[in-house]
Amino acid sequence: MAEAAWNEDTGGVVYRSRDPIGNLRIRVRLQRVTSTSLLLQQLQQLSFQPGQQAIGLATLGSHNTASGNPPEEEVVIGWQEKLFSQFEVDLYQHESACQSPLDRQYHQDILKLEKSGGRKNNRIFTYTDHDRFTNMEEHCQRVTTSVQEAPSYLAERMANVRRRRQERKPVESSVFKSRIVTWKPSEEFIKNNHVINTPVQTMYIMADLGPEDKLGCGDCEHVLCTIRVDSNGVITVKPDFTGTKGPYRIELEGEKRELWKYTLENASAVVQQDEEEREQRLFKDLYSRHKEYLHGLVGTDFEMTLPGSLRLFVNGEIVSAQGYEYDNLYIHFFLELPSHWSCPPSQPLSGVTQTCATKILGKDRVAFFSFPFTLEVFFTQEDELEGSLPQWPVLYFEVLSLDFWQRYRVEGYGFVMLPATPGAHTLTVSTWRPMEPGTFSELQRFFIGGSPELEDLTYARVPSTFKGDRLSRFGFRTETTGSVTFRLNCLQQSKAFLESSSMKKRMQSVLDRLGGFSQQGSVYNVLEAFQRARRRMQEARESLPQDLISTSTAGRDSHLS
Amino acid sequence: MAEVHVIGQIVGASGFPSNSLFCKWGIHTGGAWKLLSGLREGQTQVDHPQFDNVAYWSHPIDVHFATKGLQGWPKLHVQVWHQDSFGRSELYGYGFCHVPSSPGFHPLDCVTWRPLGSWQEQFSQLFVGGGPQLLNSDLIYTGADRYRLQTRAMGTVHLQLAVLLRNFDRYGVES
Repeated sequence: MAEAAWNEDTGGVVYRSRDPIGNLRIRVRLQRVTSTSLLLQQLQQLSFQPGQQAIGLATLGSHNTASGNPPEEEVVIGWQEKLFSQFEVDLYQHESACQSPLDRQYHQDILKLEKSGGRKNNRIFTYTDHDRFTNMEEHCQRVTTSVQEAPSYLAERMANVRRRRQERKPVESSVFKSRIVTWKPSEEFIKNNHVINTPVQTMYIMADLGPEDKLGCGDCEHVLCTIRVDSNGVITVKPDFTGTKGPYRIELEGEKRELWKYTLENASAVVQQDEEEREQRLFKDLYSRHKEYLHGLVGTDFEMTLPGSLRLFVNGEIVSAQGYEYDNLYIHFFLELPSHWSCPPSQPLSGVTQTCATKILGKDRVAFFSFPFTLEVFFTQEDELEGSLPQWPVLYFEVLSLDFWQRYRVEGYGFVMLPATPGAHTLTVSTWRPMEPGTFSELQRFFIGGSPELEDLTYARVPSTFKGDRLSRFGFRTETTGSVTFRLNCLQQSKAFLESSSMKKRMQSVLDRLGGFSQQGSVYNVLEAFQRARRRMQEARESLPQDLISTSTAGRDSHLS
Repeated sequence: MAEVHVIGQIVGASGFPSNSLFCKWGIHTGGAWKLLSGLREGQTQVDHPQFDNVAYWSHPIDVHFATKGLQGWPKLHVQVWHQDSFGRSELYGYGFCHVPSSPGFHPLDCVTWRPLGSWQEQFSQLFVGGGPQLLNSDLIYTGADRYRLQTRAMGTVHLQLAVLLRNFDRYGVES
């Protein structure tokens, strides 16, 4: 045999299809094997038993002559197409044997078949979803070698529930709205809901492998293939279609130990090329129309920044303040914009939170503010060759407490650099407050409120009035107080990102990425300087006495000649 | 036009003075934003924790926005309410958080506060519950008039949000 190797892999394979399952066609080819190798094997076996040799050969010979060429059968089976076996034909021929409506239906079908000239299949037949066999198979399936294996409670439940529910409609959503909880679930309801319930339709392709003259005795039925389809288009075929792999084999029990081989092929009609194209065009059309619809709803434009500027957009939140000495805290904050930064005039750059009484969380006393602020600032690069890196905006804040007598105390100072990388940042900033040595000021703070304060909040970082090259705070005493938690969601927008991302450049920091501009700028500056120098040279040349130029040119001419 | 998908859930709440809580939530956006699909507000069930003090709602959030600009980035605001054994509902906390602007999964803790009344009101609150509420609920997600308020820190609402962004890179936005 060309495709000699047997296919040993009889596991199930899952296919998915969105097309109607009615189009599924399977071609089954069943053949009895009478290969020489097998014959030899048999002969060898026989030679070990010399007494029986003559009989063995005789039976073999007679068998071969009787069957002529090995019997072969090929059938194309559609999804849930019923092919009757000899057994079923014999059974349902008589109306007295029919009990259920299905039986009677089969009886009618068989009578019709007889009239039209017998059935087209011989050994191969099918059991569809409605047949009794399908039920039995599910009930009696064993998974271990144990003889005493009984189906578990869950297996019983599953067998009852899982399969036969193809026609069940999905429950309408309006029913859900009127009644969310079923206070008295019925037996049926529990059955349906306590185990997975994917409705499956099953079909078995069978073969009657009995002797030629004794077809339909019922105990030689073998499953060739099991096909299960659920409503989501998942098709499980067990065993898989034999494509390039070899055929499957069935070895019969009994004295003859006949060997059968069979192949399974997917014989469903293939979609025509132009039809497939048309379908795809239809989908594309649909998608593009939906896209147009969305664009119609929202519009295609998007607000952009000016070229050469960076827009920093911060969705910020003052989350909480923890670890402060007094209760009823509030926070006052403002944003400092360094040079080259600007913001829309309508935007407030400062804010005050509500006053919040603290609660105990762990060891600390925390105040929850959940205070939103949005900052939208622009950075514009004007002159690149200044040589200094741009400064980033800083958020300064002070924490204050208000007591019962409406006196307030400074609880802490701090600052946050707005993050230079886009994304979500949660920052917890520790704060300090100025302190005077000695107990007097502390007593004053406790009894009548008020304490040393900073005149300028920017002293928390580098004072705005500071000029010099060394910042010293020696002589300034502070006391550590609590901390404030900020959550900042940063977005950056610039046309430079558009270019650099289209060039697939991934650079380290935003300054590098903005650097494209400065490079362009510097080239431009060099060019301009060159032009300037050249113009100056030309002017100088024109102002020179005419004869000097002429002599020099004459000299050059003489040199050249 | 750029698009934002927010998919996630309001997991639950902890740190409130008593149990049997429920939560009203909503998403506020600016004028340039349009809701394409999904629900922008909702309310959870009332949850009674069995053992610990965390109420779990597991309330789904699944919204799809389209926008013409960055201004008015979506904000999620929550109101936590307590339902007592007489069926009365009282306010336990207001909170808000920005929908994260970077794509990916974000576990968030949203802290809440409630308005604090006068001491008489606080005294009666101790015995019969109730208490002042905000007249305009937009104060939950705006900061402008907050300084008028006296509040008390309440519990924390736990959120899990996954954010998907589309076409923002086309407009030079790094997130």
